[in-house]
Amino acid sequence: MQEKTVIRFSDVSKVYYLYKSSKQRLMGTLFHHAKCKTNRAVDHLSFEIHQGEAVAFLGRNGAGKSTILKMVTEVAFPTEGEIYVDGRVGALLELAAGFDPEFTGRENIYLKGHILGLHDKEIAALEEDIVAFAELGDYIDQPVRTYSSGMKARLGFSINVNIRPDILIVDEALSVGDEEFKRKCVSRINQLLTNEHMTLMFVTHAVGVAREFCSRGIVMNKGRAIFDGPIDEAIARYDQLIGKK
Amino acid sequence: MIRAMKEIVTDHIHNITQIFKLAKADLIKTYRGAALGWWWAVIKPCMTLFTYWFAFSYGFRSGKPVEGVPFFLWMAVGITPWFYMSEMLSQGTESIRKYKYMVTKMKFPVSIIPTFVSVSKMMVNLVLFLIVMILFWCWGFAPSIYYLQIPFYVLMSFLFFTLWAQFASLMAAISQDFANLVKSFITPIFWLSGILWRTDNFTGSVWIRRFLNLNPVTFLTSGFRDALIFNKWFWETPKKCLYFACWLVVLWVLSLWAYKRLRKDIPDVL
Ligand SMILES: Nc1ncnc2c1ncn2[C@@H]1O[C@H](COP(=O)(O)OP(=O)(O)OP(=O)(O)O)[C@@H](O)[C@H]1O
Ligand SMILES: [Mg+2]
Repeated sequence: MQEKTVIRFSDVSKVYYLYKSSKQRLMGTLFHHAKCKTNRAVDHLSFEIHQGEAVAFLGRNGAGKSTILKMVTEVAFPTEGEIYVDGRVGALLELAAGFDPEFTGRENIYLKGHILGLHDKEIAALEEDIVAFAELGDYIDQPVRTYSSGMKARLGFSINVNIRPDILIVDEALSVGDEEFKRKCVSRINQLLTNEHMTLMFVTHAVGVAREFCSRGIVMNKGRAIFDGPIDEAIARYDQLIGKK
Repeated sequence: MIRAMKEIVTDHIHNITQIFKLAKADLIKTYRGAALGWWWAVIKPCMTLFTYWFAFSYGFRSGKPVEGVPFFLWMAVGITPWFYMSEMLSQGTESIRKYKYMVTKMKFPVSIIPTFVSVSKMMVNLVLFLIVMILFWCWGFAPSIYYLQIPFYVLMSFLFFTLWAQFASLMAAISQDFANLVKSFITPIFWLSGILWRTDNFTGSVWIRRFLNLNPVTFLTSGFRDALIFNKWFWETPKKCLYFACWLVVLWVLSLWAYKRLRKDIPDVL
């Protein structure tokens, strides 16, 4: 049976405008009067993702992978085209998961919950699981600015899987975790994929990790999808792209 | 424009509880991590107040009682609302920049950021204003029926500066120059607003006096003084109210325009 579509990109482009100075940028964005260079980070991209699918995005640096995930999260907006997203999105964008550095880990859990519109009671019910999964020890009550990048990723990941998103977005967040934590994440994601019917969008340069739970791969190059299909073929295509035999 | 307005209004309605929770978090963040913590919210304004009082009474020798009210109290009524205003001019303008992790790392209704910062600053200011009212009472000036206008002026001041922050924080997020420009205007606005002297007594050109009286900050501070000292209702000066309403409309249009133009570009530039 074909699952319902949860993410659809129709002919989406994202253009970044590169201005020479802050003044030109102000004039440019307000009145469209300044000259500037443009960079088409995502170029006329179309694809559909169905519920329960786990899709890996592969590509070289600057290929536009993060930009795609940002657009799904609604942190960036497409210049052209339309994006349809159905369901609650949990996102770990580019390592930092959006914590307030001055607050402790625990306070950040509440802050994040409030932002998502959860009540104190609901958050309190999740708190234990989140803290246990992150395994931060006493640091959970220390300000987040004192965390190492791996610790931030742990907390961010822990929050995002425990709020039970319909769509989980992970952008290289696992690459700073140690092996043990990576394994734990992989098994948790696999469990969510099979039991909860969650949808996953995953970006990584470590193709081995992608193979562990993704069934489909999209290879990006200069803002275009040059391959979209089964993960093994996608990885082969990607290896060819980066010149690995 | 209509779309922008609809978006801002629905964002505020859907997130009304978040606004208060985030305002609380903002307060905690501002005052925690110092040994005296919450006392700084009171100590800092008191220092400023005493400094000006000292300078005016002993330096300029001009601290005469106004309408029978000691100069110190007269000054306190004007300067206390200004603490909120100056915070909004500086930190309200920078609010989106300060909370950029909410913009670039998660889906978040950006328009509520200036609002919750404004709520947080207003909370502190209400406490300060309450202290001023208690001081009045201790000095033997019992509350009058005119005190009923205080909520009106508080609301006007909140509206004005929240709209201001809605506009300015978007602009400042795009351009640091704008933030610096606003900062450099804070001191001139302070001295040209009749916070420390009475613009009605200005003896120079009529035009300059009119200009000074058009200043929205003058309207607000003199409003608080009308309520506590001069026993005047705001509807006794309908023209001034109308001017102020025009200001509100202008700011409102500007904030919608900025939102429409800049909302989608903000995450890309931060
Ligand atoms: N805020 C921005 N302003 C201007 N250009 C940007 C911005 N964000 C990304 N870009 C440009 O868009 C292109 C795609 O960037 P993106 O972050 O999507 O790459 P990526 O595929 O995630 O790369 P990486 O593997 O290094 O993470 C790059 O050329 C980048 O320079
Ligand atoms: Mg990236």
